[in-house]
Amino acid sequence: MGLRLTLQVQLVLQALLHDPAREMYGLELTEETGLQPGTAYPILLRLEREGWASSRWEDVDPRAEKRPARRYYRLTAGGAVQASAALAGARRPRDSALRRLAEGDGVA
Amino acid sequence: MMPAIDPRYDARRTRVRVAMFITAGATVASTVLGGTRFSGWRWLPGTLGITLIIVFCAISMNSGRRPRGRHGMTGMTGMTGMTGMSGTSGLGGRDPALDSRLDGQAAHRRHGLVMVSRMMPGPAGRRWLAETESVLWEITAARRPAAVRSYLLSGPRVAALMWVHACLRRVRPGPRHPR
Repeated sequence: MGLRLTLQVQLVLQALLHDPAREMYGLELTEETGLQPGTAYPILLRLEREGWASSRWEDVDPRAEKRPARRYYRLTAGGAVQASAALAGARRPRDSALRRLAEGDGVA
Repeated sequence: MMPAIDPRYDARRTRVRVAMFITAGATVASTVLGGTRFSGWRWLPGTLGITLIIVFCAISMNSGRRPRGRHGMTGMTGMTGMTGMSGTSGLGGRDPALDSRLDGQAAHRRHGLVMVSRMMPGPAGRRWLAETESVLWEITAARRPAAVRSYLLSGPRVAALMWVHACLRRVRPGPRHPR
C-alpha cells in the first residue's frame, strides 16, 4: 500500500524533515503544521506502517510530570531519504495553498 | 530448584479433571436411569453434563483476566498513567483528571472518543485513546473543542485503517508492529 502524498502528508513530512533527528510529539506536530491533531494522527499512523517513521512512548512518570506521557515520532533513516525524494518529486503545492490549508485545515 | 509452574497449565489440568468428573457422573446417572422407569430420560444427564462442562470452562478461562475493552489500560501511557493519581477512573469510563480540564461540549465529546476507540482493535484503540488524551491534556483550552471534533471525525477512518492492518497481519503473519 503506497503512501499518497496529499498536502497534509507533505506538511507532516516537511515538519519531520526539518530536523530528522528530532523527535516530535503530536501536539508539537500540529502546531508546526497547523493541522488538527485528528488529521495528523492517521498520517503519522500511515507513515509508521510504511516504515517511514517510528514512534515511542515518552519514558516519564505521569504522576511526577503531572501530565500523560507523550508519543514521540521521528523519521527513520530510510524514511528520511524516501520522504525527501518523495517531496522533491511531488507536485510542489503553492505556498499559498499550504498556508490556506494550515489555516483552514481539513480532515485528510 | 523446582521449575516454575505455568498457572495456565495448572488451570487446564483442573478443567480436564472437572470435565472428566462431570462426564463420569453423567455416564453413571445415565446408566442408572436406564434401569428405572425413567429410561426415556437417559439423554438428560449427558445434556446437563455437557452444559455444565461448557459453563465451567467458560468461567474458568475468563476468571483472573482483566476485563476486556479499555478498562485494562493501566500502563504509563496517556491518561492511563494518570489514573492512579486521579483516583477511580479507567479509560473505559470517566477520567476525572481530564474531565476537569474539559468542560461542556468537549467533555461530552470525550466520551465519544472512548466510544470511537472501542471501534478499533484492542491495542490500537488503547494507543489511539492514550494519544488523543495526551494531546488534549496539553492543548490550549481554546483549541481543545476543535481538536476533539477532529479526532471524532477522523476516528472511524482510523478504525477502518487499523482493522485492515490487523486483518492483513492475521492473513500474512509477520513481525508484530511495535506498540
